[in-house]
Amino acid sequence: MKKILTLFVLMVAVVGVKAQETGSVLIQNATVITITGEDLENTDVLIRDGKITEIGQNLSAPRRVPKVDATGKFVMPGIIDAHSHLNTVSTNESRNPVTAEVTMEESVNPNSVSIYRAIAGGVTSIHLMHGSANVIGGQNETLKLRYGANVDGMRFEGAPRTIKFALGENPTRVHGQGNGVQPRTRMGVEQVIRGHFDAALNYKKNREEYLAAKAKWDSDKKGTPPVPVAQNLRFDVLNDIIEGNIWVHCHSYRADEILMLMRVFNDYGIKNYTFQHANEAFKVAPELAKNGARTSVFSDWWAYKFEVYYSTAYNASILNANGVVNSINSDDSELIRHLNHEAAKTVRYGNTSVHDALKMITINPAIQIGVDDKVGSIEVGKDGDVAIWSGHPLSIYSKVEQTYIDGKKYFDLAEDPVDMRISIDPTDDFDSAANFEAFHSGRQNDACLEGAFILNTETIQQ
Amino acid sequence: MRHLFRVLAALVIFVYGSSVIRAQEAPAYAITNVTIHHSDGSESKSSSIVWRDGVIEAVGKRVTIPFDAFTIDGGDSLHLYPGLIDGLATWGSPAPPREYKPLPEPGNPPYDRSGVQPERKPSVLLESDDKEFEAAMKAGFTTAVLGVEGNMLPGQVETFFISPEETKTGLYGEVLGLEGSFETAPGGWSSGAYPGTLMGVMAKFRQTMYEAQALQTHIQYHSTNPEMPAPNRSEVLEALFPLINNTKPLYFKVDSKENIDLLLKLQDEFGFDAVIVSGKEAHARAGVLKQRGIPVLASIDTDDAPKWYTDQKKKKKDDDSKEEEITDEEKQYREKQLEAWKEEVTNIKSLIENGVKVGYSSHGLALKDFAKKLEVIMDEGELEEDDLLALMTINTAEIIGLNGVFGSLEKGKNASFTLVNKPIFEKKASVVKSVSNGTIYEF
Repeated sequence: MKKILTLFVLMVAVVGVKAQETGSVLIQNATVITITGEDLENTDVLIRDGKITEIGQNLSAPRRVPKVDATGKFVMPGIIDAHSHLNTVSTNESRNPVTAEVTMEESVNPNSVSIYRAIAGGVTSIHLMHGSANVIGGQNETLKLRYGANVDGMRFEGAPRTIKFALGENPTRVHGQGNGVQPRTRMGVEQVIRGHFDAALNYKKNREEYLAAKAKWDSDKKGTPPVPVAQNLRFDVLNDIIEGNIWVHCHSYRADEILMLMRVFNDYGIKNYTFQHANEAFKVAPELAKNGARTSVFSDWWAYKFEVYYSTAYNASILNANGVVNSINSDDSELIRHLNHEAAKTVRYGNTSVHDALKMITINPAIQIGVDDKVGSIEVGKDGDVAIWSGHPLSIYSKVEQTYIDGKKYFDLAEDPVDMRISIDPTDDFDSAANFEAFHSGRQNDACLEGAFILNTETIQQ
Repeated sequence: MRHLFRVLAALVIFVYGSSVIRAQEAPAYAITNVTIHHSDGSESKSSSIVWRDGVIEAVGKRVTIPFDAFTIDGGDSLHLYPGLIDGLATWGSPAPPREYKPLPEPGNPPYDRSGVQPERKPSVLLESDDKEFEAAMKAGFTTAVLGVEGNMLPGQVETFFISPEETKTGLYGEVLGLEGSFETAPGGWSSGAYPGTLMGVMAKFRQTMYEAQALQTHIQYHSTNPEMPAPNRSEVLEALFPLINNTKPLYFKVDSKENIDLLLKLQDEFGFDAVIVSGKEAHARAGVLKQRGIPVLASIDTDDAPKWYTDQKKKKKDDDSKEEEITDEEKQYREKQLEAWKEEVTNIKSLIENGVKVGYSSHGLALKDFAKKLEVIMDEGELEEDDLLALMTINTAEIIGLNGVFGSLEKGKNASFTLVNKPIFEKKASVVKSVSNGTIYEF
């Protein structure tokens, strides 16, 4: 009994640590961009204890719920970035072509001030991804940007597990050219995937047989005991992919390699996957749609290496027009601050509707990381993750004025101190460290190949 | 360095060995007329201590000095303290290789290149000529738990009686536990190996434990069933058996609160007992450490104070010059900076106040910096001398499970203590003599 009690106390303690701070707010008289429905003018949104509880006109604020007058302003769901390395401890475990066993869950820096900057851009959730050095990289972690919380507190509860794959130049350069191991070519990349899936299936069979024989022998002690098959973390994760418990997000550019991976996944029965970057995806949009594959692309970013030369600013629009669930991502700690501009480019270039453009930074990335039942639109019952914009979010003149996560205000333009650091190195003096204000520029930091050994770091970052 | 007393004592111990009956015949030693400081902070003036064969026979004001005792008269001006204990030091550890050859398969390195070397023991590898041993004695240390420098699982930790040149022969007792950290595989940019990141170390730790578990099962099965294929024995994996069976704790060097959380996660998965070494941000996890009974062998190796702060403190003494003019922005910056630094230097104080058991570990701190760091911990870290003494004696002894032998001046305890010209933590205190396991060293 005492043990049970202790266990209970421990559980309460653990749960206590994980419990989230939620808030309540009544946002009044705004133009509400619901994403999944029509835009609603002169409308109030009530968030209570972290959830959206009412959307309508002339709502009254329950006791102690603060009111925010948003007359003339826009409220939209918090932006979701399906591809980010915003606050990693390290991004690439680049010492092996397959590192499915590592997880970004164990590489989160909850203290990075870049989190605050992203919130200031209206972002509320990110898909914190492993880098693209490896064919099968590490598992990713979906986070809510609850700045000030610890790692557990930032975790997006209930988000499905996902993993990073990478095709093409990055893994062949890091491992083939860099270390002289497979893969050196795109053909090799395919075989690394197939070889590891086969080995994982083989391991699973052996391990299950061993565990069954062990259980039998441990109970009846008859015959000869089985030779132990050690648990293998890497193969366990690969089997979870094959069984659909982990969704794949694959760094890719060329149409041929995109088709290759769909063939491989069809062979192994893997269904839930998103191609990241996918600059040539527009060439195979119908095939992607047919396979139910999704894409998460840049609006207009290319030519930073050979495999990214054949690109177009119409990529997102073509994919969207073909029925592919597409998102626009940042892959960058500066770009993440204005993903609204990136989405707007699809309207400018490809004549995508404003509605669809906004979906590409809200509900579509939410679908791709499996949290669309909780965030990505303004609907009763969903999480209170919203941003108040001074004007239409796709206007270059609009600013985020307030950002809420679970109904709690994390950013307010009216109260925006210069120094928002929460982790301070006391050895940094003002003269050397006052650049905490400076933003990363040039798309070089917190990007896909950060920390990976590559031959030419100057020209290749993504 | 080699002193007559020491030669004599060593000879006595060598000749008489450990036989209890014959040890009775070993000569007695005494230090008389000194102020004795106990690990609980109490002191007793004009007192004496008597020991024989490395064991304290009597301590206090009214002690009968045996007729055969070799006696040192303290002349009422010296202070005697229980020997300080370092809960984990790397003195005498062989230095890691300067260079590593590139590996044909960095993703599949041999154990040593991945940083997994739990089979290594200080008692085998120790280099007794490390000058740090003498420096340690001069700083008041007589006993230390020693580990081997390395990476994620660098080796085992063992207790030693320190001596200036022969610590290797001073092994006391059994292996205490294994050492661990989140250090990635050695070799750097060009010759590194898996795991190269924190998340990789987490995964590698788990996988190594799984392999040790499987090998242990195999060995057990095979011992009663010789007809089955024989296990591939591995001194590396077998060195981890005490960890998987939780018969020895893991001394884990970790500082940030985030990394402490990761250690707790591994503890949940594998059920080992942990001792945190260094723990510079441990105060931020004091609640859970107390709840789990995880002690901290704390570091005093704090960052230097912000320069403007030390300048300001200096200035107060010779006041005249003008106040420095700074912007509001810089003022706010400095406030946060000082707050962060204060938090760092009050880590130990905060842990003690929150009921966490705290001892001391130098792990990595060079002894030349010891006095300077101590000063900061007392002046700015708000630790009293009594707290520090307990921390570095009985508390550390309790954490390493050897408080029956070390850490206090009592009859029956090991004769390891230090004679100082003034209270030990005062500025310019100087160790006059040091007794380690009954042997007298003079400085």
